Amino acid sequence: MLSGLGTHGPHVSSLGLLAINAVLFASAIWLLMRPNNHQKGWLWSLFLLAIIASGARILLSGLPNIMPVTILVIMVGSKYGLQRSIAFVILVTVSSNAVLGDGWWTLFQVLAWSSVAGVSAMFSVHDSEGNLSMKRLSFAAVWSVPLFSTIVSFSILDGTMSSLEFALYLFNGIPFDALHMMGNIFFAVWSGAWFERILSLQAPSQQRIVREDQHVSIV
Amino acid sequence: MKRVVLLLLLLFLLPFAKADSNHSWEHEFENGYITTQPLLIEETVFVRTSGFWMGDDRPQVSAFELSSGDELWTYRSETTLQHDMSVLVFVEAGTGACGSWQDLLVGAWADGKVTALNPLNGMVVWEQQTEVNILGITGQLGIDEDRVVVPTRQGLSTFCLEDGEQLLRADFEEMGWRNGVLVSDNGYHVGTEAGVLYSIKRDGTISNTSIGDGKIRHAPIETPHGLLIHLQTATGSTLYLNNSIIGNYGSSPAIPLQYGENIFLATSEEWISLSCDDITCFETSKSQFHSNGEMSIRILENNLFELWVPSNTPDGGWGVFNQTSLQRMHTTSFDTYTTAAPGFSVAAMALGNDMGVLQVTIFDIDETTKEESSFSLIEVIHYVLLLSSYLLCCLFFATGNKPRLWKALTLFLLLFTVAAVPEMSTQWSTLIEPDSEATWDAEWPEEWQGTQIVVIEVDGKENVIGGLSGHSNVYELTQAASESLGITTEYEDQYLGLYLLSFNGTEGDGWEFTLDGSRSNTGIVDTTINSDSILRWRPA
Repeated sequence: MLSGLGTHGPHVSSLGLLAINAVLFASAIWLLMRPNNHQKGWLWSLFLLAIIASGARILLSGLPNIMPVTILVIMVGSKYGLQRSIAFVILVTVSSNAVLGDGWWTLFQVLAWSSVAGVSAMFSVHDSEGNLSMKRLSFAAVWSVPLFSTIVSFSILDGTMSSLEFALYLFNGIPFDALHMMGNIFFAVWSGAWFERILSLQAPSQQRIVREDQHVSIV
Repeated sequence: MKRVVLLLLLLFLLPFAKADSNHSWEHEFENGYITTQPLLIEETVFVRTSGFWMGDDRPQVSAFELSSGDELWTYRSETTLQHDMSVLVFVEAGTGACGSWQDLLVGAWADGKVTALNPLNGMVVWEQQTEVNILGITGQLGIDEDRVVVPTRQGLSTFCLEDGEQLLRADFEEMGWRNGVLVSDNGYHVGTEAGVLYSIKRDGTISNTSIGDGKIRHAPIETPHGLLIHLQTATGSTLYLNNSIIGNYGSSPAIPLQYGENIFLATSEEWISLSCDDITCFETSKSQFHSNGEMSIRILENNLFELWVPSNTPDGGWGVFNQTSLQRMHTTSFDTYTTAAPGFSVAAMALGNDMGVLQVTIFDIDETTKEESSFSLIEVIHYVLLLSSYLLCCLFFATGNKPRLWKALTLFLLLFTVAAVPEMSTQWSTLIEPDSEATWDAEWPEEWQGTQIVVIEVDGKENVIGGLSGHSNVYELTQAASESLGITTEYEDQYLGLYLLSFNGTEGDGWEFTLDGSRSNTGIVDTTINSDSILRWRPA
């Protein structure tokens, strides 16, 4: 059914898709190569999280909008900043869409998650000491959904849809946004600390602190 | 580790992939046609083959397990001739004046034999021989309480169902061919190749009437206004009601079929629908179609029905009609000349044709399974998790373990939302009434007004069909239209319901539909349609 609704838009030829993906991939490489971050280890953390995010998105594709991608994008944006998080978004989106289905919507998904990453880079979910704030992360799990949903829905605009129809389309998607929100909160609460450990892999091991269930341990 | 376990548990929520809503199997007979309707009795499919066979091959009656297609037994007639065209008859066990009988599968043969088989194992319960004049029995048998009524080559016999004892015999002057018998309150009625209608009372009294210059090759139809006979003539066919002509039609008429007040006819030129009121029987509609064999009725929900008519052309297939017109063509990969009517049960359909291919389709196997058993492993796991997470919430709340309470609560809320969203989204979309755009095309035939119309845009071409009716949701209407238009469809059952994957194998970026000009937020099965809805599919 969602084929009748989904994030589609104009048909893009195979060559067009190849070009889009090539540009996106090149952008990701460029963003990763830019020497703005001299800390060691961040690249492996980012790659590992990208694999987790893509794999989970593919594995959970049967459950609509339930995936850890958004919460990871928020955390990566907050921890590594806009530049790395956009690269992260591109890697996750392009690689998972290669399995789930590629098209015009890939651009909008990249744009939507990048926007989420941008906002989380500005309004960090980490406190002044660099520790993950579960309250901020839970709040981000909520505000990120309407932002992502609205931007990604622009892909359906094909010139024949009125603004009222688009508003109705967004309205109809609210139950699925609720599901997205609940999924985000779930992954934030259950996996936030674990993701944070991976994000902090670049730090010296004696500085890595994991907070889990109010239990603090030195790793 | 616990997160890995959690992820695995979450994956349990994924629905099982269901490739098709229908499941089918095929069996190819190498020694002849299937010219008569297969029978579906409970979990068994019975079918007989006919000529043309060669060498050591012989016609046979076979039984197959409905669900698997495994052959259960086969009975071969070693003595029969070509052209076995008498339909198999299943008789339930019972008791009558002449005795008691078990379940029987009664068949008649072109060598004049009547054979009652045990449907469980194909063993002969009893067998009788009737007269042969080049050929033996080719017409449809009748059942009259405790006896089987057999239109023989040149007469009529009745045999007790218990042991095959002959109870009545009537001899005719003319021969018959494919001349089924009508069992009525007044006795038995059967026609001949000379156009003579014989009526035999149960006491053996015979009377006959010459209907016309032609051949009676079917059982007469009983109407409130007398017997209806579709007489095959040298130039076509003539329809008689109570010995009066009420119409002239094409050649080689099919076996008429009566359903309620409707009578359906077919010839090499047309399909005809008749209706009988208090005064007479009259033609209500006619469509161009080529059929010369049997027709059958498939009963649908809400007192709806479909009439399935085999197309006796090189392209074959089955025309699916409603009371007045052709709705679609049902085609298979093995279509060719066909005269056998499909056999139906509530859950399955059996098709056979002149290639000797039997195809059995089990409808909506998943829905049937659901109805028979409400057990679903996915649902059970889902609800066990839901209940467990709720109980954990209560436990952690009671013990004041706030961090774990939050975790249990988020798990509970997620599981609850997953369960609630499909239904919620259905209800949600009904809260708003989107503007409908006018979608009627002035170039469409006027008779499509008020009917269901489907437009499918495939490969830049608009495929349109109208005049459809009786379909209650987008899925049903899409299926009916696709079959009529010869467009193949592919579906996948996903968590939120059935999902249309492709038309004619084209998946593209997905497919979207509008109903009466508006997009729908519900699935193709959940989106209900009106009797005059216009459904449009196009690439997303």
